[in-house]
Amino acid sequence: MSAAIGMIEVEGVAGIILASDAACKAAGVDLLGWESIGGFTTVFLGGSISRVATALKSGEEAAREVAGHVVAAPMTHPEPACREYVSNEIATERRTPTGALGLIETRGYGAHVTANDNMVKAADVRVFNVLTVHNRVVCSLILGDVASVTEALPVGRASIETGENFLGAALIPKPLPDVLWAFGP
Amino acid sequence: MTALVAALDAMLKTVDVRVLGRHGVGSGWLTVVIEGVVSDVEAAIRIGRSEAENHGELISADVIAGPAPGALASMPHMAGAGTSKPVGSLAMGILETRGMVPLIRGADAMIKSAPVHVAGWTSIGGALVHLVVRGDISSVQTALQAGRACADEVGEVYATLAIPSPEAGIAPLLPDPPNSDGREEDAGALGILETTGYVSAVGGSDAMVKAADVDLVRLVIASGGRVDALVKGDLDAVQAAVEAGIDGAQEAGELNASCVVSRPSSEIMACFGGNTVRNTSGLHQAMGLIETRSTVALVKAVDQMLKSADVEYEGRYKVGYFLTASVVRGDVGAVRAALNVGAGEAERYGELVSAHLIPHPYPALEERLIH
Repeated sequence: MSAAIGMIEVEGVAGIILASDAACKAAGVDLLGWESIGGFTTVFLGGSISRVATALKSGEEAAREVAGHVVAAPMTHPEPACREYVSNEIATERRTPTGALGLIETRGYGAHVTANDNMVKAADVRVFNVLTVHNRVVCSLILGDVASVTEALPVGRASIETGENFLGAALIPKPLPDVLWAFGP
Repeated sequence: MTALVAALDAMLKTVDVRVLGRHGVGSGWLTVVIEGVVSDVEAAIRIGRSEAENHGELISADVIAGPAPGALASMPHMAGAGTSKPVGSLAMGILETRGMVPLIRGADAMIKSAPVHVAGWTSIGGALVHLVVRGDISSVQTALQAGRACADEVGEVYATLAIPSPEAGIAPLLPDPPNSDGREEDAGALGILETTGYVSAVGGSDAMVKAADVDLVRLVIASGGRVDALVKGDLDAVQAAVEAGIDGAQEAGELNASCVVSRPSSEIMACFGGNTVRNTSGLHQAMGLIETRSTVALVKAVDQMLKSADVEYEGRYKVGYFLTASVVRGDVGAVRAALNVGAGEAERYGELVSAHLIPHPYPALEERLIH
């Protein structure tokens, strides 16, 4: 059990992925996993008290780029029961996917079918995962090299703008393997 | 759901397209993905679009000519593709309501008013629930009329739909058949209490089993954060229990609706009854329940509760729509102290929905809890 656990809660998925990556890069904390309660998603970070504090600050800033609701809180010497709340623990035995990560988040699913098809056709990217956290929020995760993902994202965004409610898009040039494991299929 | 079923049935009746799959994203939004030759798919989408618009329910519709091979194979609508249930030739009726109180009341009226049988029920988020009946078309129409009238008395009917001869391709949209093991039980009456949140449903159930000689049949999650507590027994007992349950639920949180169904049909009991019994050995202590609309607030609260009082962590529950709850155990004083600390801590980080103490929970309640 880590000396401290930090939690960052946001609305949607894109914000929590950005927060996880930024928090882990800023302070070298462990990404323990994440969970959704039907609208809000929360990431759990473990490490020393000072590292968790640093990680929360960076994660919170990154999440605010795409999400409105952001709450961050540290727990020092957390009770073991608090671990029970991590419902999507990261499974590190899987093969590490590589590449830049592109995120597109909307309300509604239909536009993701069109957007993902257009992105795959427009650039050398693949659909890594599509996450639904209920409350209508859907996030597509695409992988490719930085140039390809940079090229693909505006294509995906253009096809969504004609359809459902666009919430946000983001690029993580070098996502941490832990982040890909945690939010992968 | 009714609008999408109507649209898909109309599409399949007119052109030759195949359903690839469906995906629901909560709060009542559903997507169907079809494939076929471009002109057929274009025609189908035209028909579906106008049908959905007629119902006032269109969100978006699009055609992809020549999708990239394999690119979309791992998207969520492909999960469960190829597992098709038989649709059958009987006419189909769908009653869709907000919350389960009008659904169960309406379903009972449907079965009593015409020779139809229940083919299943489910929820699609946003508190929208629907129930499918099958029979000949005139029976289905009679049933829907009776069901709508009775459901209207106790809650909101969202929509009804009758399809004289449903297309086999709509199968992916249909709920699973009721999990009936032939053990259809009779009851004098069925009482339903619907709350927002888990804690108020438990508080209401506790009041019901303590107020009258009723059995707690089941706690059901109805989406949109709604939870239903079902009790059965004699009519007088169920009425007394529901009255007490209304007060108990309001004391613990938010009550949505309630009703009493006299002499429920055995098919309704088989459809909505349950027989899951939790192992409750060793659980004789007071129960503390805390519920929030934030994971951070709940985890912070639980951490502080466990640190500040001699209570044990028992479990957690998510009922959807931002609601999440936890349960602790201990003696009455310890649980009360823990709840005070937890409520204060939760309010610092998010919205506190309930902090509720049950000093002496009955086994009749413990056995049916779902956390």
